[in-house]
Amino acid sequence: MILEGLMAICQPWTVLWIAIGVAVGIIFGAIPGLTATMAIVMFLPVTYSMSASEGIAMLMALYIGGISGGLISAILLNIPGTPSSVATCFDGKPMANKGQAGRALGTGVVFSFVGTIIGIAILVILAPVLCAFALKFQAYEYCALALFSLSMVVALTGSDMPKGLISAVIGALLATVGLAPIDSRPRFTFGLYQLNNGFALVVLLIGLFAISEVMAFAESVRREQDYTIEKNVKMKGAGFSLAEFIAQIPNAIVSALIGVGIGILPGIGGGVSCMISYTVSKNTSKHRELYGTGIMDGVVASETANNATIGGAVIPLLSLGIPGDPATAMLLGGLMIHNVAPGPLIYEKNGAVVYAIFFAMLLAAVFMLLFMLWGMRFFVSVLKVPKNYLLPIVMVLCGIGAIGNANQLFDTYTMVGFGLMAYLMIKAKIPTVPMILGFILGPTFEQNLRRVSQLASSDPFWNHPIFCVLILATVLVVIFSARANLKDAKREEELNK
Amino acid sequence: MKKDSQYKLDIIPGVILAAFSIWYMAQVPGIRVFKSLGATPLTNHFIPYLWGSALLLLSAWLIVRGILKYRRFKARGGVSEGASLWAALADKREVIGSFIALALYVAFMDSVGFTIATIVYVFAQILILTPTARWGKNVLPAAATAVVAGFLLFYLFRVVLNVLLPVGLYGPGL
Repeated sequence: MILEGLMAICQPWTVLWIAIGVAVGIIFGAIPGLTATMAIVMFLPVTYSMSASEGIAMLMALYIGGISGGLISAILLNIPGTPSSVATCFDGKPMANKGQAGRALGTGVVFSFVGTIIGIAILVILAPVLCAFALKFQAYEYCALALFSLSMVVALTGSDMPKGLISAVIGALLATVGLAPIDSRPRFTFGLYQLNNGFALVVLLIGLFAISEVMAFAESVRREQDYTIEKNVKMKGAGFSLAEFIAQIPNAIVSALIGVGIGILPGIGGGVSCMISYTVSKNTSKHRELYGTGIMDGVVASETANNATIGGAVIPLLSLGIPGDPATAMLLGGLMIHNVAPGPLIYEKNGAVVYAIFFAMLLAAVFMLLFMLWGMRFFVSVLKVPKNYLLPIVMVLCGIGAIGNANQLFDTYTMVGFGLMAYLMIKAKIPTVPMILGFILGPTFEQNLRRVSQLASSDPFWNHPIFCVLILATVLVVIFSARANLKDAKREEELNK
Repeated sequence: MKKDSQYKLDIIPGVILAAFSIWYMAQVPGIRVFKSLGATPLTNHFIPYLWGSALLLLSAWLIVRGILKYRRFKARGGVSEGASLWAALADKREVIGSFIALALYVAFMDSVGFTIATIVYVFAQILILTPTARWGKNVLPAAATAVVAGFLLFYLFRVVLNVLLPVGLYGPGL
């Protein structure tokens, strides 16, 4: 079966479709507002006439390219191309501002590849074991996991804790708009059917990052400035030395494990994994104060984790038929269209296709590395386009992304609304990043808390060791992060004096 | 950052967010509660109240912190700088212009169509983001960029990728 899978992928047409899938995925990932999910949705009909191996290989390539491409706009424009690259902005853009755009891109690309490979390796070796572990996650565990992930907000807030918490709460509060979980009663929709599904994450991201970036530039129009971001971007290899690569390996391994762990749990996804791994990397680093100022470690943590999430998300998809996020839900549709039934029997019934998927993912990762390393010079040339010309085009692309998300114009109105909200928050010195965690995790927390409220009388929490461990971890994270924040605040105050 | 405005950055957002959280929680009783078989002990009101009250408490924290900062500021003999609202708005005219352009773009996209709306928006936005002294040199390149972007993006996304971009009154050609 392994050889059969390998033979299926080694066909020239399959290789070509994988290459096209990666290239298209990178473009979709790099354009703010367009996501890997949209790329898969748009190209799913293209695969109808292909063989199962060709079609699924192309969809996987779109997925890998789409997740990886997000780092380009995150680093060059401070606008994450996909939710998975939000944390890449934190250090990627400061690196670009210091004239290290090539180094930041090289780091992101290489460690995206490393993350993808670790994710695939874990997928191939440990899929059955991890699936059994993932199945232990029920309402109690998910509730505690959401709470644990939300506790990362305290670490992300920095020295101004109340404002960071306010941001996370606003995110969670925005996520209550739409049909309530479990009973599907409309909440805060004000009779607008367009709000029944709630606000889309991609629309919120556009508002928070893209519009605020345009407004930040608009504020500086009358200052004397060079309108190109960077003129002399030096590019040499991947932008970093072998010694630097080796020094980042522990950071990459921890981030990849976090990425895979988050990936196998449905409903969380790359947007959270990159932020959690960034926070863990920052909190365990000897130079945590340098995070956010433009260091390699931050880009490594974010990009390794979000790409490792791919391997993690494919584990329950193939072994249980459970999609972890919208992109894998579309992949599930693609598998079914090609008569591949995911589930515990997939290895017996479609073993060759499963191995073909593994090889396709490996090949897609290699293509991603090659295309992105080769294309870095072109990506960096974006920095030479005057910002007053570039940003309006980016805004139009964001508008297209908002419309394409659910094929409704209404999302562009909410996009502008979120942009205004983000601008006012930035003016009030309220960080916008914790809002994303609140927005993603709020519904998971609510759904599982309400389930727990049903179960509590018959199945008390002490029957759930994972729940107890996660709650303990949450308490520890809150205490240690709050202590670190207070220290930072004191240091800042002393510096101000 | 002016030192004297530090307390304002706590008090003003605090008051606005407190008012918003009160308004938000006032909407909660209007949500229909599911009471049939399978209803959960925690209803769909619980979480909105939880987040609403959390926001109210955090806003109160901000307000109190702002008041304390204001007292310290006054104790040091500080005098608040009175800034004119109009002067502040005029200082942000490019930002206000950008928001207006963006709002008009999305508001009229459905009726005039993606292509025309995009051409007008991109042209206007490029000029807004360009200092007025440089407008002369930038009008033609801005117009060319706007026209190319409008047609190219419409063709690429509507025709090639089937995204349902609005065609508008003047048909798919425009």
